[in-house]
Amino acid sequence: MDISTLIAGLLTIAILTFLYRDNPIYKFAEYLLVGVSIGYALVIAWTSTMMDLLFEPLAGGKFSLIVPLTLGLMIFARMVPRFSPLSRIPLAVLIGSGAGAAIPAMLGPRILTQMSDTVGNVVGTGAGPSFSGIVVLIGLLATLSYFYFSRPHQGALGLSAKIGTYFLMVFFGATFGYTVMSRMSVFIGRAEFLLSDLLGFMK
Amino acid sequence: MSRRLAQIICAIFGVVMFLLFFSPHPAARTIALTITTEYWQVIYAFALIVGAVSFLRVNVKNIQRGQDSGYRIISLIGLVAMPTVAIIWGIGANTPFMWIFENIQVPLQSTVFALLAFFVASASFRGFRARSLPAAILLISAVVILLSRSWVEGQFASGLIATADWIRSYPSMAARRAILIGIGLGSLTTSLRVIVGIERTWLGGGR
Amino acid sequence: MKLEARHWTFVGLLIVVVGAMLLGVRPDVTISDETQRMFEYIDSLPEGSVLIYSFDHESSSLPEIRPAALALVRHSFSKGHRIIGVALLAEGTGIGYRLMEMAASESGRQYGRDWVYLGFKPQYIAAILSMGESIEKTFPQDYFGTPYDSLSMLSGVVNYQQVAGVVSIGDGNMAVHWIEYGQSRFGIRISSAMTAAMVTTYDPYISSGQLHALIGGLRGAAEYETLLKIGGGGQRGMLAQASAHIYILLLILAGNVIYFVSRRRRD
Repeated sequence: MDISTLIAGLLTIAILTFLYRDNPIYKFAEYLLVGVSIGYALVIAWTSTMMDLLFEPLAGGKFSLIVPLTLGLMIFARMVPRFSPLSRIPLAVLIGSGAGAAIPAMLGPRILTQMSDTVGNVVGTGAGPSFSGIVVLIGLLATLSYFYFSRPHQGALGLSAKIGTYFLMVFFGATFGYTVMSRMSVFIGRAEFLLSDLLGFMK
Repeated sequence: MSRRLAQIICAIFGVVMFLLFFSPHPAARTIALTITTEYWQVIYAFALIVGAVSFLRVNVKNIQRGQDSGYRIISLIGLVAMPTVAIIWGIGANTPFMWIFENIQVPLQSTVFALLAFFVASASFRGFRARSLPAAILLISAVVILLSRSWVEGQFASGLIATADWIRSYPSMAARRAILIGIGLGSLTTSLRVIVGIERTWLGGGR
Repeated sequence: MKLEARHWTFVGLLIVVVGAMLLGVRPDVTISDETQRMFEYIDSLPEGSVLIYSFDHESSSLPEIRPAALALVRHSFSKGHRIIGVALLAEGTGIGYRLMEMAASESGRQYGRDWVYLGFKPQYIAAILSMGESIEKTFPQDYFGTPYDSLSMLSGVVNYQQVAGVVSIGDGNMAVHWIEYGQSRFGIRISSAMTAAMVTTYDPYISSGQLHALIGGLRGAAEYETLLKIGGGGQRGMLAQASAHIYILLLILAGNVIYFVSRRRRD
């Protein structure tokens, strides 16, 4: 076993000790993880963006990049209370462009295409509406009505919202099932590392 | 003043990005590319660096106050070590930077996540009970899905996969679709409110 | 050392998983329609097709997502696809490179000619949108600082128009962004290998055809490995996976029996 595997193994066990209860060994590993992962993100952001998209083209004579550079530096104003309002300007660029790009993305692929697929499976098929297609349509409308809070959930709306909760429960149940699979898979991966690489019990 | 200016810039970038979505004109595509690569990404990268600097400042302050000093020093060592080794040896395949990532960060982070398997087991025993009709529906749905992916599906119950797939593809999907559309409507209206200046919480307090 | 009830459920899970892994049995898995569809999609792409593999996940989900990612990349290399690796989450950067390097060296694929690794760009929506305009402007250099135009594989690859599809290896909502910004704006075909926990989130997109194909979690990986007729982490973990599911089902059953018995006694 090499030193790398030993260190990775000991750190894995350090995290697993939390299963008994919080302890200094776990805390050591936890704080180490936080520091290393921020350091990692910092390096990757620096090399892949600041150098690639900013400093190297700037050094190559692309002086239009002085504007985003200035905007980027203005974010640092956040740390000095006197100048912190300046940081709103770069934030405005991020939030404005994000909002502008989100409108067509939400409207088209998320709302209209999803609606179209729901309705299309009921009335758009040559063979007539299928049972499953009707289930989806009812489920969609009932669940949407559950999230409609502008009127009290009474009468027809109350019934619809109640049916909506049943559909939601089916979704949450299915998601729980898959989440169990997911969490077990991650643990199996770590167990395989411990049994195979660290302890050599498996080939 | 800075609030008003920020709002105007936000509205301009919002409207421009929205309009650019529909235009195939080469000039429009160039503007879209400039906004996404030169503005959006560069500013975002600066924001990441600001986050790291803030983390450093908070930890140094807490060390000075003697709050969890030992642990915080370990965090700071980790934070400083990564850029240091990256500057000296680079970030290529067989560098100390990648060694730390692969032998410290990856095992730590994936094991933290693996802990959830145990908490899911505990929650299944203690909290997953058919106390009411909705809870019973949730339970049945989860059990069918889990059984359908537990090897027994091929050995004993041939219809199990079909039932599980039907649940996932129709009733479960319908509810998920409603959530998706609800989030879409919410995001859409929030984006519009941000662009026209009704939603201003992102500006924070102050003048 | 005082053990509580939850500790016993932990010990039970540990015994079940470790025991199943030590047995070393690899049970047959039934191939699901969604895995079959993904396999057929990758299999049907002609030799020389350019595919983007986007490593959109963090190291937390690596044990689950790696077998599926490895199976897909191996399949692509075996079919002679040319692969562009990118990462839209910082942690995916190192992971993606290592994985592609491993699969490439196994199949004798050459860097720069058969595959390239462009690395990470922050703000995923911006990255997806800008790649649709120009991949070179988004990634002027590869992960090692080699200029885009020096990599022979990328000659003629301008934007998504020259790319057959994107495979997002993800553990969150990144494939949603690929669909809503990449697929809807530029028409690029999106597929995804994702953690099992995210599978139900994507069902509406599968139904509408916006997401072309997906494989989910370790189970999906095991199915894909079976179709590829190769061994891998998915198959190795399947007995433990199935045993853990049964264990969880037994815990649910026991919890409910205790609940109903105690309720009847109370009444």
